[in-house]
Amino acid sequence: MTDYKKTIGIEIHVELKTKTKIFSDSINGYGRTANSNVNVVDLGYPGTLPTLNVEVIRLALKAALILNCDINREMHFDRKNYFYPDLPKGYQITQFETPIGTDGYVEIEVNGDKKKIRIHDIHIEEDTCKSIHYKNHSFLDFNRAGVPLVEIVTEADMHSSEEAMAYVEKLRELFLYADISDCKIEEGSMRCDVNISVSKTEELGTRAEIKNIGSISNVGRAIEKEAERQIALLEKGEEIAFATYRYDEKNDATIMMRVKEAGNDYRYFPEPDIPFVLIDDTLIDDVKKTIPMLASERREKYMAFGISLLNANKIIQNRSLSNYLNKFLDSGIDLVIASNILLGDISFYLNKTGLDIESTKLTDEKFIDIVKRISSGELNSKVFKEILDELLEEDTSVEEIISRRGIKIINDPTELKTIIEKVIANNSASVNDYQNGNTRAIKFLMGQIMKETKGSANPELVNKLLEEELNK
Amino acid sequence: MSDMLTEKEVLHVARLARINLTDEEVMKYRIQLKQLLDDVDKIKDVKIDDDEQLITPIDEKAVLRSDEAGEMLEPEDIMKNVPVSNGNFVEVPVMINE
Repeated sequence: MTDYKKTIGIEIHVELKTKTKIFSDSINGYGRTANSNVNVVDLGYPGTLPTLNVEVIRLALKAALILNCDINREMHFDRKNYFYPDLPKGYQITQFETPIGTDGYVEIEVNGDKKKIRIHDIHIEEDTCKSIHYKNHSFLDFNRAGVPLVEIVTEADMHSSEEAMAYVEKLRELFLYADISDCKIEEGSMRCDVNISVSKTEELGTRAEIKNIGSISNVGRAIEKEAERQIALLEKGEEIAFATYRYDEKNDATIMMRVKEAGNDYRYFPEPDIPFVLIDDTLIDDVKKTIPMLASERREKYMAFGISLLNANKIIQNRSLSNYLNKFLDSGIDLVIASNILLGDISFYLNKTGLDIESTKLTDEKFIDIVKRISSGELNSKVFKEILDELLEEDTSVEEIISRRGIKIINDPTELKTIIEKVIANNSASVNDYQNGNTRAIKFLMGQIMKETKGSANPELVNKLLEEELNK
Repeated sequence: MSDMLTEKEVLHVARLARINLTDEEVMKYRIQLKQLLDDVDKIKDVKIDDDEQLITPIDEKAVLRSDEAGEMLEPEDIMKNVPVSNGNFVEVPVMINE
C-alpha cells in the first residue's frame, strides 16, 4: 500500500549530565542502590522547597542553541498536576508556557538528501521515580525522581522510518558531542516516543503514540509495523483508535497500552516556588563558548583532509579519539596517516588496555613525530607496531626508542638497489611472471626484499625502485 | 444547582483521601464541601484581563544553586516514613497505565 503517506512526529526525553538533581542537591547517578540518592525534596516532604540547579539551565540552554531555537529570555516553570505514586508531590515541575527554546530545527540527511526537521520546542522538567511492577505490587525507587530532563518535541515533519531514525541518531550525536547527556537509550537516559499516522489525502489520519522505544533501529521497526497495522485497518474500513502503544521487539509488533481519553486535564499553572529565570546575553555568550565542534562539522573537516567517510564516521563514534585528532588539524601532518594509526594499532592498544588515549604517554609532539616519520618512510607500519607499546607507555622520544632498538630504516637508494638486484637475480621465475603481465608477482618480490632487510626498508621507496628495475 | 454534593461525589473524594466516613459525616460533608466549592467559585468573578501574570509574589529573579552535592537520606530512614516497604523499595498497590 504505497499510496498511504506516513506522518511522524517525535518526542525525546534526555537526561542532563549534571552532578546533582534539578531541584535538590542529591546526586544524579545511575545504577546505585535503590533510594540511596534521595533527600527530603525528592520525596516531596511537607515544607520542602525546590532550588534550581544552575547547570541544568546551562545544559538546557546549550541544547536549545544547538537546535537553533529562539530562547525564552524570561522563563518560568509550571506545575503539571496528576495523582500517581511516581510523583509524591502530586505534580511534576515542568515548562508549559515558556519552554526554554522554541521554533528550532535539526538538519538530517537520508540517502544523500538533506532535510530540516522543525523543533516545536525544548523544555526542562524533572524526571519521575522509577517503578518496577510485580504481580499486584509496584516497587518505587526515587533515585531517578528529580533527575533533570529536557524534552524535545518535533513538528510532524517526518514521512518515513528512515527519516525518523536519522533524526534520533542526529539528536543523539549532537547531544553526545556537546556533552549534554550520555544518551544511553538502553539505560533510559534517552527515551523516544513516536507519533505516527497514515493518510491517502492531505488531511492527517488519527495518530497513535508509541512510547519509550528501546533503540534507534526499533524506532524504524515500530514505525513500519504501526503503519502496516493502521493501513490494514483503514483498508477494512475500520477506524483507528487514538491510543498509546508500545513496541514489542520479540513479536515485532505494536501493542496497545491504553486508549487516550480526550482532554487529559493536568491543571497546569505557574510554579510559585520558583521565580522567573532570566537568560541574559552574558549567559548565552558564556554557554556558546562551551559548545564544541559538532559531529557534522568534524566529519566535513576530516573528509576535506582526505579521510574516507567510513573512517571519519569511525573516529566520530569515539569522541576522545576525535578530540585527540582535532588537536592536529592545523599541524600540517598527514591526517589520513594520523587517522589510520589512531583507528588501527592505537585503538587496538587502547581496547586491549582499557585506557583512554589522553592517559597514555603519547604526547602531541610524539604523535606528530610518528606521523611525520611514517609519511616520509622513515618508519614503516611493521616497526611502528613493534614499538607501539613503548611509545605509549614510556616518556622516551621516538628517536630514542628507534636507536635503542637498533632499528634503522633503509632510505638510501644505492643500498636498496643492491638488495633489489640480489633479489631479482635469485627469483627469475617471479620476474618473468611480472614481465609477462602478472603484476601480482611484484608483491612476492617486495616480500623477499623486506625479508632481506628484516623489515627495515622504506616500503614506498622499495616499491618505486623495484618497479623501475623491473621495467628497465 | 443543588445546594449539596451527591453522596457518590463525597464518597469518591473520601476514597481519594483514603478516609472512612460514617453516614452522618457523609451528610455533613455533602453540605460543607458544596459551600466550600461555592466560595472558591467566587474567584471567577475577579476581573483579571488587564493584569500581568503573577508567578511569584517576590519581584526578584530566581537565584540558582551551584551543582554541588549535599546530604542525602539513608534508605532505612526513608522507609521509617513509608507505610509499606520491601527492602530498599517503597511498595504500593500496582499502578495501571504504566
